[in-house]
Amino acid sequence: MNSGKSQSTNNMTVLWIIGAFLALIIGGVIIAQATPLLFPPQGSAESLQVDDLFKFMLAIGGAIFLLVQGAIVYSVIRFRAKPGDLSDGANIHGNATLELVWTAIPAVIVLVLTVYSYQVWVSTREIKPNEQTVYGRGARFVWSFSYDVPASSVPSDVEVDKLPPNIQDAITNDSSFPITSRELHTFVGQPIKMVLDTSDTLHAFWIPAMRMKQDLISGRTTEIRFTPIQAGEFPVVCAELCGGGHGDMRASIIVHADETEYLSWFSDQVNLVVYPPDDPVLRGEQVLASGQYPCSGCHTLTALSWAGITGPNLNGIGDRAATVRSAATGETPEEYIHRSLYHPAEYLVPGFGALMPQFQPDAGQPNFMPVDDNKAIVAYLCTQTATGESACDLSNLDAIIAAGD
Amino acid sequence: MASITAPLGQAQTTAPGLKVSDFFRWSVDHKIIGIQYMATAIFFFIVGGALAMLIRWELLTPTLDLMQNGEQYNTLFSIHATVMIFLWIIPMFAGFGNYLVPLMLGAKDMAFPWLNAFAFWLIPPAGILLLLGWFVGPAQAGWTSYPPLSTLYSGDGQTLWAMALHLLGISSILGAINFIVTIKNMRPQGMGYWQMPLFVWAILATSIIVVLATPFLAGALTLLILDRVAGTSFFDPANGGDALLWQNVFWFYSHPAVYIMVLPGMGVISELLSVHSRKPIFGYRAIALSSMAIALVGFTVWAHHMFTSLTPELRIPFMVTSMIIAVPTGIKIFSWLGTLWGGKIRFTSAMLFALGFLSMFVIGGISGVMLGSVPVDIHLHDTYFVVSHLHFVLYGGSVFAIFGGIYHWFPKMFGKKLDERLGKLHFALTYVGFFFTFFPQHIAGMLGMPRRVAVYDPQFQQINVIISIASFVLGIATFVLLYNIVVTLIAGKRVGANPWRALTLEWATSSPPPAYNFIGDPVPFEDPYGYGTEESVAYLDALEKRFPPPVDTSATLTRAPQSGD
Ligand code: HEC
Ligand SMILES: [Cu+2]
Ligand SMILES: [Cu+2]
Repeated sequence: MNSGKSQSTNNMTVLWIIGAFLALIIGGVIIAQATPLLFPPQGSAESLQVDDLFKFMLAIGGAIFLLVQGAIVYSVIRFRAKPGDLSDGANIHGNATLELVWTAIPAVIVLVLTVYSYQVWVSTREIKPNEQTVYGRGARFVWSFSYDVPASSVPSDVEVDKLPPNIQDAITNDSSFPITSRELHTFVGQPIKMVLDTSDTLHAFWIPAMRMKQDLISGRTTEIRFTPIQAGEFPVVCAELCGGGHGDMRASIIVHADETEYLSWFSDQVNLVVYPPDDPVLRGEQVLASGQYPCSGCHTLTALSWAGITGPNLNGIGDRAATVRSAATGETPEEYIHRSLYHPAEYLVPGFGALMPQFQPDAGQPNFMPVDDNKAIVAYLCTQTATGESACDLSNLDAIIAAGD
Repeated sequence: MASITAPLGQAQTTAPGLKVSDFFRWSVDHKIIGIQYMATAIFFFIVGGALAMLIRWELLTPTLDLMQNGEQYNTLFSIHATVMIFLWIIPMFAGFGNYLVPLMLGAKDMAFPWLNAFAFWLIPPAGILLLLGWFVGPAQAGWTSYPPLSTLYSGDGQTLWAMALHLLGISSILGAINFIVTIKNMRPQGMGYWQMPLFVWAILATSIIVVLATPFLAGALTLLILDRVAGTSFFDPANGGDALLWQNVFWFYSHPAVYIMVLPGMGVISELLSVHSRKPIFGYRAIALSSMAIALVGFTVWAHHMFTSLTPELRIPFMVTSMIIAVPTGIKIFSWLGTLWGGKIRFTSAMLFALGFLSMFVIGGISGVMLGSVPVDIHLHDTYFVVSHLHFVLYGGSVFAIFGGIYHWFPKMFGKKLDERLGKLHFALTYVGFFFTFFPQHIAGMLGMPRRVAVYDPQFQQINVIISIASFVLGIATFVLLYNIVVTLIAGKRVGANPWRALTLEWATSSPPPAYNFIGDPVPFEDPYGYGTEESVAYLDALEKRFPPPVDTSATLTRAPQSGD
C-alpha cells in the first residue's frame, strides 16, 4: 500500500514535469513570435537566415527565461518562511542526477546553436558568380562609395583632353576608372561584394536592414557580401567609434527595383564625369557633391546639404575669405581657400584644432586631390557669398599655384 | 548608549573604538583596508553614476543639446565606463574580499598586510590621474580605446587614462597574489578546500584570473603609451604597425576581466541565498568547480569581441568556446534555484537583491549566448543590444550582488543593521529602474541604433526617453542606499554578532570584530552551509551565548528567540 502511494506520487511528478516542459516550450515559441517586430525590414537574402536563427534562439532563450523566472516566483511564494517560523529548510546538499541533467541539457542546446550558427555563417558568406564589386571608404565622418567604370563604356563623343588625367589614362589603356557617390546604389537581386577601407581611424560599415556589418581597419582592406531583395532606401550606419562626429556618420543604400533603373542612375553618374562642365564653379560643385572628398563629414554647407560640425561652417565662406581671413593671413581670398585645402594647419580658424586632413596634389600620396579639383573647389567655394557673386579673382590662381608649394 | 551594552560581552568582543579619521590613514588591518576599498569604490560609483545621468540626459533628444560637441559626449561614456569597471566594481569586490576572506578563514589578517595596504593606496592616485584628464583633453576613445583613435586622434588625457589603468592593474595584481597566498596558507584546522565558503572559492578563481590576465593589459597599455609619447608605431599601420594588435591583447585581458567582475558577485550570491533561505547550497562542488571552469575557458573566448574585425576564418573557433562557457554559468544558476527550492526564505533586503540578481543575470546570460553566435553578432555588435547585455551582466549581476552583500555584511562591519524598510525601497526602485533602463536597449540595438552616439536617428527617440526616465529612477535609488548607510551609522541600533544566524566563520566573532579578529583560534562548523540540522542549531545557539546580542535590540525575524529552543 505504501509503495502504491509513492508510485502514484511519482507518476504525478512525472506528469508535472512533462506539463511544465511543454508549457515552457510553448511559452518560448510564443515569445519568439516577436522577432519581426524587433528587427528592421528584411532587406537582404542574408537577413532572412539571420532572423530565423535569432528566432530559434529567442524561442530557446524565452523558454529558459520562463523557467528561471518561474522557478524564482514559485519558490518565493511556496517556500517563504511563514511569520514566526524560525526553523531551517531541509538539509539537502544536491542531487547528482539533477545536476547531470542541467549540465547536459544546456550543453546540447549550445551545441545545436553552434552548428546552426555555423551553417548560417557559411551560407551567408557564399561567393556568388555574378557579384558586383563596390568600394566603400570611411573617412571621419562620411561614407563614400565608388564603382569601376570600364573605359569601353565611355561614349565616343567625349572630349578626352578635357577629362581628368586618370580618366584619360584609362581611356588610352582601355582600363577602368572610378566614379564616386555619397550613396550606395544597387538593385534587387544583384549580389554585392563590398571592398572596404578607411582613410583614418577604424569605422564599421553597417546596414541594419541587411544584417551586415564589417569593420574598416586602418591599413587593411576588408570585404563583406550581401544580396538585396527589397527595393527602397535603407540607412548605412557607422558602428565603430571614430571620434566626435561618429553619430553623424550615416549614409543610405538605395536599392533600385531593377537593373534598368539602376543603369540609368549609373550612366547619369558617368556622364557627369565624362562631360565635365566648362564652368569651374559648376565643376567644383559637382566634385564636392559627388562625395569624392570627405568634406561633408566635418563641414556644414547648406547648398550641398552638408551638416558636419567638426569644422567651421562653410556657408558664406567666400565673403569671409575676402574679409576676416584675408585680413588675418594677408592672402587673397582664392589663395586662402586654396591653401586651406593643401595646407590646412598653416592658419587655424579660431576655435578649431588642426583636424582637417591635408590634401595633397600628387597621386600616390594620402588624401590625393588633383590640382584641377582644387581649382574647381576654390572656384565653387568663392561663390558662397551673400550675393552669390564670386568673391575671388580666379585668373590669379594658376600663378599662385605655380608660386606656392 | 554604548556604555549600556553588556559589560561581559564587551570584555570579550572589544569592539574597536575606531574613529572616522582612522579610515583616512595608512593601516595594515585588513578590515580597515576593506572598508577603505569600499568607501573609495562607492565614491567613484557616485562619480560614474553622475556621468551616466549626463549621458542619459543628452540622449533624451536625437541631437546634441546638453553637450556642445561629440567629443564631449565621447568623454562622458569613456570615463563612465572606465570608472565603473576599474574604480567601482573591481575595487568594491576587492574590498569585500579583503574584509571577508581572512574572517571566513578564521585568520588574523591577510598573508601580506603591508602589501595589502599598498595595493589599496594605489587606487586614489589612479582615480585622480584619470579625472585630471579633463584638464588636458580627456580620453574619448571609449573604455576600449581602440587605436588609431586612441593614439593619433586623442588628447593627452588618453595617456593619463593609460597610466591610471596601469596603477589600477598593479593594485589588482598585488591584491590577487595576496588573496591566493592567504587562501592557500591560512585556512584553519579542519577547513580543506572543499570546506571553504563559496565566496572564498570565487575570490580564489578571480585572483587566478587577475594574476594571469592583467599583465596583458599592462603590456597593451605600455605599447599604447609608447605610441603616444615616444613615437613608436605598434598600432600605426602607416608605419608598419597593426591596429588589430591592440584589440587582441586588450580583449585577452578584458574578457577575463568580465569574470573578474562577476565571479566575486556569484560568490556573494551563493552565501546570501543559502543563509537567507536557511538551506545548504545546492551542489557545492559544482558551483566551486564551475568558477574554476569559467576562469579557464574565459581565456579562450576573447575574440568574440572582434567578430566584425577579426579575420573571418578565425571567428568560428571563438564562437565555439564562447558557447561552451554558457554551460558552467548555467550550472550555477540552476544550483542557486535548487538552493531556494524547499528552503525557508526570509525576505531580507540582502535576499531580495540576491533574487534580483538571479532574475536579471539570467537575461544577461541569454543575450550573451545570442551575441556568441557569429551571424547574429554581426548584426548586433557595437549596438545598444551589447550595451544592454553588458549592463545586465555587470549591473544586474555584479552590482546587485554588491548591494545584497552590503545589506548582508553591514552588521558584520559596523555591528548595526541597515534599515530594512529603506532597504526594500532601495530594492524596488533599483529593480524597476534597472529593468526599464536596460531591457528596452536590446530593442533599440536590434532595430539599428549603434552604441556610443549622441546623435541618433529620430525614430529611436521614444524608446530613449523611456530609457532615460527609468535611468533617473535608478540613479535616485542609489541615494536611498547612501541615506540608509549614513543614518544607520549615526543612529542605527546595535545588533548581535550574528544577526542572520549564518554558519560561516566570519560570524563566529563579535561584530565588528576585534583587532585580530578572533579571541583564540576559531573552530569552523563542519559544513559552512549545514543548515537544517540539529548540530547547526546547537552551534549557532552556542555562538549566540558566547557573543550575546545587546540587551536593547528588539527580536528580529531571523534570530531565534533568546530562550525556548
Ligand atoms: C576631419 C574634418 C575635416 C574634413 C574632412 C575637412 N575639413 Fe575643412 N576644416 C576642418 C577644420 C577643423 C577646420 C578649421 C581649422 C583649420 O582652419 O584648419 C577646417 C577649415 C576649412 C576651411 C577654412 C574655413 C574658414 O572658415 O576659414 C575651408 C575652406 C575648408 N576647411 C574646406 C574643406 C574642404 C573643401 C574639405 C573637403 C575637401 C574639407 N574642408 C574637409 C575640418 C575638416
Ligand atoms: Cu565612423
Ligand atoms: Cu567577452
